[in-house]
Amino acid sequence: MKSMKGKDQMEEMVIRIEGLSAVYGRGARQVRALQEASLAIRRGEIFGLLGPNGAGKTTLLSCVEGIHTPAAGGVWIDGIDVRRYPRVAQRKLGIQLQQTALLDDLTVAELVEVYAALYEVYLDRAAALALLARFELQDKTRSLARRLSGGQKQRLALALAVANDPEIILLDEPTAALDPRARRAVWEIIRRLHQEGRTLVITTHSMEEAEALCGRVAIIDAGRIVACDTPARLIAALDAAPVLRTQFDIPLEQVESLPGVRMVRYSGEYLEIETTRPQETLAGLQQAAVQQGRSIADIMLRQPNLEDVFLRLTGKTLAAWKES
Amino acid sequence: MKQFLKLTKAMFLMHVRNRTTLFWNMVFPIFLLVIYRVAFGDGQVGAVSYMDWVVPGVVVFNILAFGLLGSGTMMVEMREKGVLRRLHASPVAALPLVGSYLLVNVLIALVQCVLVLGFAVVVFGMHLTAAGVLRALPMIIVGIVTFVALGQVVSGVAPSTGMAIAVGQILNFSQMFITDMIMPIDAMPAWIQDAAPYLPAYAVAQLVRPPLLEGTFAPNLGSHLLVTAVYALGAALLAAGLFRWSPKR
Ligand SMILES: Nc1ncnc2c1ncn2[C@@H]1O[C@H](COP(=O)(O)OP(=O)(O)O)[C@@H](O)[C@H]1O
Ligand SMILES: [Mg+2]
Repeated sequence: MKSMKGKDQMEEMVIRIEGLSAVYGRGARQVRALQEASLAIRRGEIFGLLGPNGAGKTTLLSCVEGIHTPAAGGVWIDGIDVRRYPRVAQRKLGIQLQQTALLDDLTVAELVEVYAALYEVYLDRAAALALLARFELQDKTRSLARRLSGGQKQRLALALAVANDPEIILLDEPTAALDPRARRAVWEIIRRLHQEGRTLVITTHSMEEAEALCGRVAIIDAGRIVACDTPARLIAALDAAPVLRTQFDIPLEQVESLPGVRMVRYSGEYLEIETTRPQETLAGLQQAAVQQGRSIADIMLRQPNLEDVFLRLTGKTLAAWKES
Repeated sequence: MKQFLKLTKAMFLMHVRNRTTLFWNMVFPIFLLVIYRVAFGDGQVGAVSYMDWVVPGVVVFNILAFGLLGSGTMMVEMREKGVLRRLHASPVAALPLVGSYLLVNVLIALVQCVLVLGFAVVVFGMHLTAAGVLRALPMIIVGIVTFVALGQVVSGVAPSTGMAIAVGQILNFSQMFITDMIMPIDAMPAWIQDAAPYLPAYAVAQLVRPPLLEGTFAPNLGSHLLVTAVYALGAALLAAGLFRWSPKR
């Protein structure tokens, strides 16, 4: 009975990453991009890798994709060791790299055909058209890739990622550099791919995106995985109070003495106050402002989110996060 | 096989749609012929007309320039842009990928040489016999294969497209002068004359010119073929060893 359950759990796990370390360069210039990262990604989930630039997200995906040889540890896809059988493992993956480099001089339809052929999948015209229609590119089949807009290019990159009808899809920053509308369109596509029963792994440095899309999230910083759980549980584990956010210049000690205040910090130009009694804190703040003959602008109360989780786990301020 | 054909088709389309390579491959050689014609008219060099004498030189020039400059740059560009990285992440093997790339390059170089010869015959009345063409074509192919292989070494070494072109230019120019086609090799310093027979450009020039000019094979056919074979094979092995999917950082 017990062994059966163990086996089921094994099957649930599509990607197993164990003790994965990765380096670039040698000697004095060696960069340790990933240090003993372990993860288990389950079948049918949207899994997010969340971390600032340079955290090691792309490197981690590269190891899964079989294009970076780890210094230690390994990756298994459906039980297949990526290092030993890279091409068998790669066959199961649909991928979109961070830099969307396409063969620019080919048309959209030609690209779909070639990318599928890389996986020995041969699409006829109708199948290629049906695929492109799912990404709203049916009117662009004869356009050269270089002539597409940013959003169209990204949708094409996603179409190419699924051209081989993969069960597992790895997307490296699928919405970076997109405007909000194009971003939502990509979110919709990701959700649809998920509904089709596929497993998705996406990387992002947007907390909002991770919360909006991902069933589970791993927070990664400086090559280490510092937490991994559902966004809700990660936030609940903080046991944090709501945060009052405002633009107001005031010594931190003065705020700390206000009722309910647990923690105060500056985040960029914003003052952020974690407080169990937001109304009383705000009243105190306003009183202080009146005494100084000033007024408080842009008051906002928000629930704790993944940004706070990152802050707590890494000790890095939000401003540092945003800038990096 | 199907995969190889799809890849070959894609590589071919990319080549013909790239305006820069199209210009250098197809327009420039013809342009060169016209320039020679305008500059030197239809005079004689000894017993042969000037055009007859110059066309083999243009063909050899094409082979060298295409191999060293044209055939490797697309690979470097694909590597630089991260296209090769994406291909590496797919289960496609290196062999069909590089194979289709090389096949397309050899075919395009061949078309280009045939185009130059055709143009010279039709427009400038160059004298070519059927026997000469039949003997020249295999030699042209040998030359193309050798220099395309050398071009892949350049692209393997060069960190960027710009560097690949610079290195290719230097090799191309230095090799051009020892073909005995721009300048008579007799006018060169003795050590260059001694070295020339062991260099691929000289060998290819010696292989290609006699059939085009006189309809006969080169006098030292065997030794020139041996030189090209050594370079082709050596370059192929070296290029395979140097092959990288991602740019160095
Ligand atoms: N090709 C490379 N050569 C050297 N260092 C690299 C290379 N790629 C990434 N790095 C370094 O490895 C670390 C992790 O990078 P990366 O995985 O790209 O992070 P992320 O995708 O989270 O932004 C960074 O410090 C980065 O500078
Ligand atoms: Mg990255």
